[in-house]
Amino acid sequence: MKPKIAFFDFASCEGCQLQVVNLEAEMLDVIGAVDIVQFREAMTEKSDDYAIAFVEGSITREKDIPRLKKIREQAAILVALGACACIGGVNCLKNFQPLEDVRKYVYGDKADWYETFAARPIDAVVPVDYYIHGCPIHKDEFVKVTKALLLGKKPEIPTYPVCVECKRTGNVCVFELGLTCLGPITRAGCGAWCPTYRDNCAGCRGLVPDPNTNAEKEVLKKYGLTVEQAISQFRIFLGYSEVAK
Amino acid sequence: MTFRTIEKKNFPPFIEKLMPAMEVVGVREKVEGKYEFALLESPSQLCLDYDVTLLSPKKYFLPPRETLLKFRTGKTVSCEAVLASKPLAIIGVHPYDLKAIAQLDRIFADANSDEHYRKKRQDAVIIGSDIRRSSPYAFCKSMNSATVQEGFDLFLTDIGEGYVVAVGTQKGQDLLAQWATSRAATKEEVAKRSEIQEKIPYLFSLNTLTTPYDELPRLLTDHAASKLFDELAEKCFSCGSCNLVCPTCYCFDVQDEMALNLSEGERFRLWDGCLLEGFAQVATGENFREDRAERIRHRIFRKGKYIYEKYGEHGCVGCGRCASACLPDIANPVEIFNRLKEGK
Repeated sequence: MKPKIAFFDFASCEGCQLQVVNLEAEMLDVIGAVDIVQFREAMTEKSDDYAIAFVEGSITREKDIPRLKKIREQAAILVALGACACIGGVNCLKNFQPLEDVRKYVYGDKADWYETFAARPIDAVVPVDYYIHGCPIHKDEFVKVTKALLLGKKPEIPTYPVCVECKRTGNVCVFELGLTCLGPITRAGCGAWCPTYRDNCAGCRGLVPDPNTNAEKEVLKKYGLTVEQAISQFRIFLGYSEVAK
Repeated sequence: MTFRTIEKKNFPPFIEKLMPAMEVVGVREKVEGKYEFALLESPSQLCLDYDVTLLSPKKYFLPPRETLLKFRTGKTVSCEAVLASKPLAIIGVHPYDLKAIAQLDRIFADANSDEHYRKKRQDAVIIGSDIRRSSPYAFCKSMNSATVQEGFDLFLTDIGEGYVVAVGTQKGQDLLAQWATSRAATKEEVAKRSEIQEKIPYLFSLNTLTTPYDELPRLLTDHAASKLFDELAEKCFSCGSCNLVCPTCYCFDVQDEMALNLSEGERFRLWDGCLLEGFAQVATGENFREDRAERIRHRIFRKGKYIYEKYGEHGCVGCGRCASACLPDIANPVEIFNRLKEGK
């Protein structure tokens, strides 16, 4: 009896679900192991009889709440999928501006039609069992977590920072390439995706469990960032955490 | 020790001839002023006047991620070791890295022989070369690693018109005989080699320990409760960079990963490090080194006391990689040892 799984999305670009579709050849193995009953990005059939829910997106309006709670009631296991769901992600950028202005900016003269409130990760509303971090998620990690769920095991998600994966890869530290990076306080697991391609880490996988954010501020200062610039770095993905406030 | 000479014009053809016979790895410039050990596509990429590489050649014997075995589960459980290794030549290894490899050889053959390490090590031929310039943080003189007379198959000293090649092993001698055009080195050439090597320790005059090599363990014992470790912990990310770039750190984490069919999988190991928060955490959730300060102290004790007590030499070879990798600038062993000595 294959476990029934479903995908849902709130405020997001749905790119994390696309990453699942991007599994391509491996997708066949996934379908061999689970029974997908709801997946808007990939199929038209739909059923509300599922055991595992993968939820993408952050919660940005009142009416998201009952919908998410209903998913939580049905799902034996709820997995947050991607940065928006796990940590609030880029949607939290709006939390630092008057919401009225944001609404007008986005919806123009239709602003009154659409409600909005401060963006938040899904665990601000319901308990979450597992997290698949990243913007977008890493395909391999989706497979890894799915396998762990099937085995009834806790998935091995790193608690150490991105620096570890940069070192394992043999990267030149991007601080030495003239960039500033949130790698030292950001959870690894992406394989140091961005720094490997000589871009900085923007913190999309969220903070490590015990981040030394003061040290990060000091290092950013040493590399020429003002306090405001450092804070704006944190706000790209970490707007919901204390460090960005 | 026998010495041969390879004329400069005969050196690139030597590398060229090696290439079809084995994997040839050498020091290459990765970005301006940053070097790495990587596969050579042509002899011209080899850079022997580098200061230090990002990672040490350890990565070829203990890869960052390595499959140890494959297994099948179900009614009958079976598993088989995966021993992946190919003939490999590593060119341009500095003395401090040679010392580190020799230490790893002892550790991975001591008591519990690590076949994965040993197989890769046996398949490799190591060609060392002299340090020509010091990296900003290196302190090789203090760690007796500015020059070495062992721990290599061949060792190159650039004497201008050619390389004097010290032959360290039979393996090295055979390699030279088979692939290189060389001749016996003259007395003058060997003397020139000595003259060059005598000057190398002075490259590190500005960066030295205030404690003699053999007295470091005592120093650490006396300062085990130093407040310095708490001070450093304030700035430490626990990112493990100091561990991961270290040529003598050898800790790894072992994990099992199932395939999606849930009936087969692999066991692999990954580089780990004692600065990482979860390093000393066990299955119950108990963490034996919860505090950053404890982890920093542990690393320093590994480098300046524990390895020495077991093997008679320090677990630090003075390459300075940890200091250059540490963003908050707190991992430099010279600074830590010297500050402990001053009691600050």
